[in-house]
Amino acid sequence: MLIDRSHRKWIRGTVFATVVASILYAIYASHAPDGPRGGSWPGLGYGVAASLCIVFAALLAARKRRPHYRLGRAATWMRGHVWLGAVSLPLVLFHAGFSFGGTLTTVLMWIFVVVYVTGIAGLALQQFLPRVMTESLSQETVFEQLDHVREQLLVEAEQVTKGEGGAVARPKSAGRVQGRVVESRAAAAEEGPGRNTLVIFLDRQMRPYFAKDGVRRSRFSDPSARAALFEELRRAVDPALHPVTHDLEALCAQREQLEMQRRLHLWLHGWLLVHVPLSYALVLLAAVHAVMSLYYG
Amino acid sequence: MAQEAESRLEGETLSLEQLQQIPIFKGCSEALLKKNLGAVVRRRFKPGEIICREGEFGSTAFYVLEGDAEVFLKTPVAHLEGKPRVRGLFGGITSFFQSMVRREEARARGGSIPIDAPMDLSLDRPEALLRGGDLFGEMTCMSFYPRSATVRARGEVVALEMLRNILDVLKRGSKEFKEQLERAYKERSLAAHLKAMPLFAGLTDDFIAGLRERVNLVSYDPGKVICKQGDDADRLYLIRIGFVKVSQESPGGEVILQYLHRGDYFGEMGLLGAGKRTATCTALDHVELVEIGQEDFTRMTREFPAIRAGLEEKARAHAAENARRLEHLAAISVDQFLEQGLMQAQSLLLIDLDRCTRCDECVRACAASHDGVTRLIRDGLRFDKYLVPTSCRSCHDPLCMVGCPVGSIRRTGTLEIVIEDWCIGCGLCARNCPYGNINMHGIGEEGAAGKEGKPEQKAITCDLCAGLKEPSCVYACPHDAAFRVDPKEFFARR
Repeated sequence: MLIDRSHRKWIRGTVFATVVASILYAIYASHAPDGPRGGSWPGLGYGVAASLCIVFAALLAARKRRPHYRLGRAATWMRGHVWLGAVSLPLVLFHAGFSFGGTLTTVLMWIFVVVYVTGIAGLALQQFLPRVMTESLSQETVFEQLDHVREQLLVEAEQVTKGEGGAVARPKSAGRVQGRVVESRAAAAEEGPGRNTLVIFLDRQMRPYFAKDGVRRSRFSDPSARAALFEELRRAVDPALHPVTHDLEALCAQREQLEMQRRLHLWLHGWLLVHVPLSYALVLLAAVHAVMSLYYG
Repeated sequence: MAQEAESRLEGETLSLEQLQQIPIFKGCSEALLKKNLGAVVRRRFKPGEIICREGEFGSTAFYVLEGDAEVFLKTPVAHLEGKPRVRGLFGGITSFFQSMVRREEARARGGSIPIDAPMDLSLDRPEALLRGGDLFGEMTCMSFYPRSATVRARGEVVALEMLRNILDVLKRGSKEFKEQLERAYKERSLAAHLKAMPLFAGLTDDFIAGLRERVNLVSYDPGKVICKQGDDADRLYLIRIGFVKVSQESPGGEVILQYLHRGDYFGEMGLLGAGKRTATCTALDHVELVEIGQEDFTRMTREFPAIRAGLEEKARAHAAENARRLEHLAAISVDQFLEQGLMQAQSLLLIDLDRCTRCDECVRACAASHDGVTRLIRDGLRFDKYLVPTSCRSCHDPLCMVGCPVGSIRRTGTLEIVIEDWCIGCGLCARNCPYGNINMHGIGEEGAAGKEGKPEQKAITCDLCAGLKEPSCVYACPHDAAFRVDPKEFFARR
């Protein structure tokens, strides 16, 4: 979620809550004869407040499972998730009196820290990665369709190389408009000299690059090396076939974009692989901690 | 021509003498018939044999000579669902009430299914009987629209299958054929046609009987102007066959206000108002209309005050909507904005790509709101940093509506375009949408074949989550990245 001016109220609320909690903690800590403890009434108060914040933050997952239910706008839930999650850190620390305690509470505390840090990392990535994707991925497609689009690009490369006509998805960039448009391409009028060179080039050089994990191993991954290879190809074929080489080069550039999209998408969402399961563990262990503390406490 | 037709039509080719023995061909020019021999064949169907199937493209009309044939919708009149229904007693009760609510809503919008035959089908029981002397498939024959319904021989059926040139010869040359069709329509269909429109449902049988004697049936060729903006308004029109474009002149050129089809009416605004036509109405294809004269219209509005009130209310709503559209289009700039067709949009879904984390919550919310079938694909062209995803734009000029053989795609009183449950899945609207925003979706198990061996499908499009304050895609975006806008206003600020 992009943190912008629309978050002002939430930021003010978070800062206010943190300041009030800190002042109260300072008063409580300076007057507690045995030092601040989670089992004291003020300590319990911080614990309950922190638990409520964490539970609300965790409820976002449940909200997302029913996206069409009219339970408040998802953006409001997300703001609550971010800012109540943020304020939970001082509350947890004040509850624990800045001590990690026994084994269960230490585990709980580390899980909380990891969840918190991954949350901040995710939020930080969301501040700039979407913009990077917008600027650098003009051919962006639906993530789940990446493999399909990659395969389509190869089919198109085969058609271009053989001089076949048909419908092709072309990148389009005109003024403020960007994207892919379907255009028709006429079949090559006749076999020109060098067509076979193109076929060999496609099979030996390009095809591996279009394989699923082909980007890592291929020389085409390096744009300057790729440009040099295409220059070499152009010298080897009849000038009438140069437009074909340009088409092939454009398809390689699209393939590169697909890979970049995959990488950026994983960065943008990868942190959730840690954040989400540990959040569930956090809620579960926090409940165990509360029951045990109240029962044995 | 005749030879070409012969090769296309299966059945018993008739000689000139045989044709002339059939009463409807009496009075037709012998030369024309001779020229078009082979463009009409006699076909015999066994009981249970399918004469034509809904959704299929064709170019012929059928005239029943003998026997009865059932006309029905094979594609179930059902709401498209992409996820399994909740089973058990609770699930059964829920789905029963949901289907009741949907039918009631559809009934309120106009509860019959217009088909390419002398009668409409009822929503509850979409089937009817064709008898000797009935003509069906006229729109397919004249304008090449997909078949609107399936027709099956009930007993032995003998029918003439004819191409357009023969139907033209009959309509222009055979007084008997014309009179027979008009008589059949007035006797069997006019009342049902009028009563199928919620606004006219209150007309009494006596009044309709009087009307039957006085209405005129007229036809227009494609492109013909039926009435012109500013002309004197002297009659109300009901559409029997075809599509009519309603447009107004504006400083920027012609503005399309609406497309009307079988079962719709027009011309009431002029009759109720200043006596002048407020818009130009043009036949888009072969159009046949029922004309109700000013005298009858006045009598109807006098005798039935509820109808008058309903017409006036509708006319006011239309006038306000038309004024809004004209104002909207007046200040639209061109360039790439025009190129992407964004000026066509009334409600455009945009995704701010600088905010969007590509989480696809919008798509999931759309699917969740529509029984598991998403109307939104998060892909498309970009305009600046905004993605214009594949989702209905509620165009000013809704080309998707032209040609629907059963009139199941329509605009309601507000912006949204809805596809009713009686869609037969012919796919014409999806092909007509210039922006690829209508998708075809299989019914039931994915890829499952229907009874005829072909996968059954229905068209789906975004209905702006009609009835809800905000579309689900926008409501469920956790990053405030998705929003619906009026593009002119939105991009004018940027």
